[in-house]
Amino acid sequence: MHGFAYDAPHDEIVVMSPLAQAVLTFRGGANGEEPPIRVIQGPHTQIQGTAYGANAIVTVDPVNGEIYVPVVPNAILVFDRNASGDATPKRVLNGGSINISGQTGVSVDPVHNLLLVNGRNAMYLFDRTASGDAQPKAVIQGPRSQMGSVHEFQVTSKGWLIAAGGDFAGGTGFVGAWSIDDKGDVAPRWRIPVQQLTGYVPYSIVLDPVHQEMMMAAAGRSNRIRPPNGIMNTVITFSWPEIF
Amino acid sequence: MGIAGNGRSRSGGNVLGCMAALALGVFGLSPVQRLWLGSPQLVSIQEIPEMGDSCFRPSQDFSVAPRQEPSLLAAFQTTPVYAQDNLGTEDVTRPPARNIRDTAPTFSSVGVDAVRNEVYLQDSNRWSIRVFSRLDNAKPGEPPTEPRRVISGPTSDVQFNSCVWVDPGSGDIYTVENDTGDSIVVFANRATGDAEPLRKLKVTHRAQSMTIDDATGELFLSVQYPPQVAVYSKTASGDAKPIRLIEGPKTRFSDVHGIAIDTKNKLLYVNNWGNVSDYKVAGSGHFEPPSISVYPTTADGDTAPLRVIQGAKTQLDWPGAMSVDPDTGDLYVANDMGQSILVFRRTDRGDVVPARVVKGPRTHLSYPAGVFVDARNKELWASNLGNSTATVYPLTSDGDVAPLRMIRGAEENKQSLKFGKTEALAYDSKREEILVPN
Repeated sequence: MHGFAYDAPHDEIVVMSPLAQAVLTFRGGANGEEPPIRVIQGPHTQIQGTAYGANAIVTVDPVNGEIYVPVVPNAILVFDRNASGDATPKRVLNGGSINISGQTGVSVDPVHNLLLVNGRNAMYLFDRTASGDAQPKAVIQGPRSQMGSVHEFQVTSKGWLIAAGGDFAGGTGFVGAWSIDDKGDVAPRWRIPVQQLTGYVPYSIVLDPVHQEMMMAAAGRSNRIRPPNGIMNTVITFSWPEIF
Repeated sequence: MGIAGNGRSRSGGNVLGCMAALALGVFGLSPVQRLWLGSPQLVSIQEIPEMGDSCFRPSQDFSVAPRQEPSLLAAFQTTPVYAQDNLGTEDVTRPPARNIRDTAPTFSSVGVDAVRNEVYLQDSNRWSIRVFSRLDNAKPGEPPTEPRRVISGPTSDVQFNSCVWVDPGSGDIYTVENDTGDSIVVFANRATGDAEPLRKLKVTHRAQSMTIDDATGELFLSVQYPPQVAVYSKTASGDAKPIRLIEGPKTRFSDVHGIAIDTKNKLLYVNNWGNVSDYKVAGSGHFEPPSISVYPTTADGDTAPLRVIQGAKTQLDWPGAMSVDPDTGDLYVANDMGQSILVFRRTDRGDVVPARVVKGPRTHLSYPAGVFVDARNKELWASNLGNSTATVYPLTSDGDVAPLRMIRGAEENKQSLKFGKTEALAYDSKREEILVPN
């Protein structure tokens, strides 16, 4: 499983079932072999992945009650969070040149009404309700930005976009903070050089505003990116009060 | 009350109202408490009680409400953060506050070389193959078992490998990479350290498990998704293509994991987790109960199974590796989530009760993903993801049987984190819990 989300206001866990083209919603306190309380699955859903990546990513907008699923060919499906069964998406955003797949990172910022799409080494910022062939409001991309790619990333309520950057293979991977008002090739305001500090690069990033912490899930990436301590799976937490 | 199922939750005004309710609930905190709370976060959506005009009206009040600094409401406004480009980048180099990791190996697969009396354990946490004496036994109170050899390192190309298999004739060690390497790597029997493989075979992404039919020289490889069984020459290397490919809707393959062959009766067993979809067809996904499907070993293309073992009585629950007793034809299944080893008869079909079930607290089974029948020594081996052990039992075991011996990769009574590949993450702010999938 490469993507899931916790919906705090509704106390639910939303999970992508990657090989069954399904979105499962569980109780927040689910434990053991507990069945989901809702399943989105079926021909009307339009959920589709690839042979290689299948359907990996899902995210939730608890404020507006929506579930976002990136799919092939090149689209983001938006479902009502209460949708169940063979549901039709309420909106579909076409990816244009982004080339969205089932592994494209997607995040929603309900505070600033943004939909953020993490294409290959680029961050696309759309209006939250963008659909059809809507164009992004801004793109953060380029050598100064060093924008990278992760499965999960987030925006703070102050408008700091927390995502990954740097050259993982070159050992300079970091977690950076860009402004949601940035456009173009803009360097991050802050960055934690996580690869230099720990040997790991992030697959996913989540935030804990209460304790002012950033957490990242990290695992061995390939034979070229091996944590020096030889332990390939970890979750690392950093204190990062600057962004909160 | 919560607004689940309430269409009003999707209107903009109601959203702001929800935030206002949250803000009103936090304004009363002291500065110290606010500092500890960090920055605002949405933790609850509540229906605003009927308050008439006294209630804050978001569509108007958001823009005109007097500033209360520092206030949660101010933080929720869409005021942009300051332009940061001209400030440059500041590196935050404080060390991590916490690190959740398992320092012990996680054993995903077991293979036994009865000729050389050695046991091979595949470790998916530290990217290694660990080789032990077949008779090693970590008794209570003793330290973890020291391996005779460890194969690991960038030259070895061992990564998130899901299967280890030892050729009883040559002693060659085969290992299947499941995720980041997409290969079968073969080592010489005495390989150790960051060893150069004898050969590598590029295989399809999500390769899971393998076995070899020495009589025909064929290597059978299960691929999780798109589900298939690829049959290669056992000496294949590089970009060699399969001799034949078993795949298609008639096969009833779904999220394939374990594979085993009965060479005497020329049967191929494949287990399926039941996650079904055709990646070429949107919305084609559905779920089926897990199953074991049976084919002739000569199957090719879109071949229907001879029979299928499936149903509630089977107890199948995330079946992992499988192994056949060549003398009886009994099929042994590592039943990962079922915390058991299931044994089916050669002719079983449908919703059948297993002939035997090894399960219970005395067994020390914990999320067993690997299983191996050592026919020469009449022993049954299991590798346990959940406690960093390999356990061995009499081959005819049934019920809550204590292991004959145990190889321990960690301290006694270890509860492994069971991390498979930590690629996703969520934070449950309600319970202050970190959620990690495997």
